[in-house]
Amino acid sequence: MGERGSRRDRILSRLVQAAFLIGLLALWYLATARWGVSHLLLPNPVRVYDELKDVLASGEFVPDLRVTLSELAIAFLISSVGGVTLGYLISRSQYLIRVFEPLLAGVYSIPIILFLPLYVLFFGLGPASKIALGTTISFFPIVLNTIAGFGYVERIYLVAARAMGASDFQLFRWVLLPAALPVILTGLRMGFTVALLSILGSETIASLAGLGHKIVHLAEAMETARMFAYIAFAVAIAALLNFTVTLLEARGRR
Amino acid sequence: MMPASDAVGARDVAARTASRRRGGFARTVRRHPGIARLGAVAALFLLWEIAARYWVDPMFLSPPSRVIGSIQSVFATRGVPAALQVTFWELAVAFAMSVAIGLLVGLAVGLSRFSRHTFMPIILLLYGTPQVTILPLFILYFGIGPASKIAFGVSHGIFPIIVTIVAGVQNIKPILLVSARSMGANRWQIFRWVIFPHMIPSFFAGMRLGMTGVLLGVLLAELYVSTAGIGYFTTLFTQNFDPTKLLGLISVLAAMAIVLNEIVRRAEVHFGRWRAE
Amino acid sequence: MTAGEVAVRIRDVSHHFGEEGETHYVRALLDTSLDIARGELLCLIGPSGCGKSTLLNVIGGLLQPSSGTVHVGNMPVRGPLPRDIAFVFQENALFPWSTVMENVVLGMVFQGVPRAEREARARKSLEAVGLSDFAHHYPSQLSGGMRQRAALARALSLETGILLMDEPFGALDEQTRMILGEDLSVLLARSEKTIVFVTHSLGEAVFLADRVAVFSARPGHIKEIISVDEPHPRKPEFVTTEKFTNLRNRLYTLLHDEIRKAVVESGDGARVAAAERS
Repeated sequence: MGERGSRRDRILSRLVQAAFLIGLLALWYLATARWGVSHLLLPNPVRVYDELKDVLASGEFVPDLRVTLSELAIAFLISSVGGVTLGYLISRSQYLIRVFEPLLAGVYSIPIILFLPLYVLFFGLGPASKIALGTTISFFPIVLNTIAGFGYVERIYLVAARAMGASDFQLFRWVLLPAALPVILTGLRMGFTVALLSILGSETIASLAGLGHKIVHLAEAMETARMFAYIAFAVAIAALLNFTVTLLEARGRR
Repeated sequence: MMPASDAVGARDVAARTASRRRGGFARTVRRHPGIARLGAVAALFLLWEIAARYWVDPMFLSPPSRVIGSIQSVFATRGVPAALQVTFWELAVAFAMSVAIGLLVGLAVGLSRFSRHTFMPIILLLYGTPQVTILPLFILYFGIGPASKIAFGVSHGIFPIIVTIVAGVQNIKPILLVSARSMGANRWQIFRWVIFPHMIPSFFAGMRLGMTGVLLGVLLAELYVSTAGIGYFTTLFTQNFDPTKLLGLISVLAAMAIVLNEIVRRAEVHFGRWRAE
Repeated sequence: MTAGEVAVRIRDVSHHFGEEGETHYVRALLDTSLDIARGELLCLIGPSGCGKSTLLNVIGGLLQPSSGTVHVGNMPVRGPLPRDIAFVFQENALFPWSTVMENVVLGMVFQGVPRAEREARARKSLEAVGLSDFAHHYPSQLSGGMRQRAALARALSLETGILLMDEPFGALDEQTRMILGEDLSVLLARSEKTIVFVTHSLGEAVFLADRVAVFSARPGHIKEIISVDEPHPRKPEFVTTEKFTNLRNRLYTLLHDEIRKAVVESGDGARVAAAERS
């Protein structure tokens, strides 16, 4: 009973998947064009496509995209630098790991999104609150993975290197860092993904600019077709960013 | 007046005694990282207290002493207890629905190799999309009441459950299935006695992740727009620049989240017993 | 052998995995024929990848051969025969979420033993393998040797005429194997079961078997069958006798070249092993 699907099964799978997606699109089209679903609730897919072309061609998306991306970049920069540094410092001592790791893991188990109103109250509706939330949320997977990466390097490697006369710096550069790198990269990837999600989320909830805000704005203006276009755009951007980051992680792990 | 050498000697003894005393305390702290942790948390609270009292405008930040003292007033605010109940109810319903739907879909997809290969890519694709972008759509379709919060919560909760159940069904050791078949088990017996018990730890792990998802979904929707849930009050306290009440409310919500997470975690530990091999 | 004495009749069984021309095509068995007598313990021994486990699975109905037939009694084998054939596998096939007792009972549930008989039979077989005190332990709490005893108890409780054992002691250390082998011999002396036992160990084959079928390297076929004429239960001292040594030496001579051949083509051997497992 092997997992090797026969070629026929694989082709059949693909066909069903394609049929599923096409069927969904067909339903969508029929619902709006023939069955009288209000275009305010579910816009005609053709219109959505037109709106999307318009958005892309006119460059209307640029300011909002810029806001979102810069918020993401700043948040991730702060959390990655801070997280890796703090993680490294904690990992230097087993005792510190025992003290802080459960603490950090515990805080991470609270839905950090709850902090958003606090940040909005403190920083206002501008980019600062989004950056603050993005930094806070992405900080934890980065620091926890850094601790795991540096803190749990096989003792035997360290012992062997020391026995061969490695200095502190050499130990770090040639043993600790390469051993810890895959785990740290995973943490960075997780942090990035989660920062992106939280920034889009906080833009949706309380913001004056950014992709998330734009979608809300269009929803409130009942411009549902254009909203769908922006949603597709945002999902595509997110997918692209995540794909790139995952690729970088895989490359770095090699 | 002591001779100089005695004074030096006395100083040495005093220093050594002091260090031994210090050593004793340090040794206790070293042996119990929990104490250090408590100390770290206390230090953080102290920093917060000082910052809120002396450095930051009271419009933006409130010290923990005041927050804790005013918890009562948060509950006394008209509508807050009801809103907390509504939110809790939204979480419970969303979780229950996520588990039910997730279990059914997970089993339907996982039990057949064909449906696994066909539908898992689609499910994983959906799992990976930033659902927060379609939050306004959920509100559009389900309204601003609890229904949209529940729907959004379910939408976040089902995916980890489906994925873990499919994994739990899929990674069963083939030898166990062969063995059961050799003893004459029919398909129902194999499911009931082999696949299902094997999948239970994964199911509970999935529920733990599902709870996290449900919390995220429901709270996101609440913060976005709410008339009956706590989202209404977070917005209210924010707009009124009332950090005391806001911090109080958020602490209560955080506590609720911790309790719910802990319940599922304990359930997972309890029912995942046989995994310890 | 007369018809009544033959428990399993194997005729011209060949088996290949995959299709000719595919990368994972491998011929596991070639034109194997064999009569297994009722009540005998037959060992299958041979180099890795020679198809002994494949043949076992074919006998037990877990695998349909590419060509050839197997008859158990007068019945052609077309699928598992839980009332006639029980298995003990090398891999730990006990359900980790159930206790030893529950595992043994579950086998009977699958076979269709009436509820009233199950517990009594389970207790009997657990006592036979010496695990009465561990009936309510979980497999993870037991040593490897004890787990295989439990697997054996489960197989015994099914009260089948035929027992197929695929390197059941393969994952255990030498000393445990020795003890389990002696206990198995004692146990089986008391019963009328027909047993087919796959092993890699020459000593184990000579100690346990009435006959030993020696396989060639892949594609496997039976090179020679050696008889071990020694009454059951085999005494532990049998291992130190000259007869034992001579038989073991004969096996060694027969096998050595085949093992070398199999190692040289070890890539394919691994493929057969992997194909057998899937």
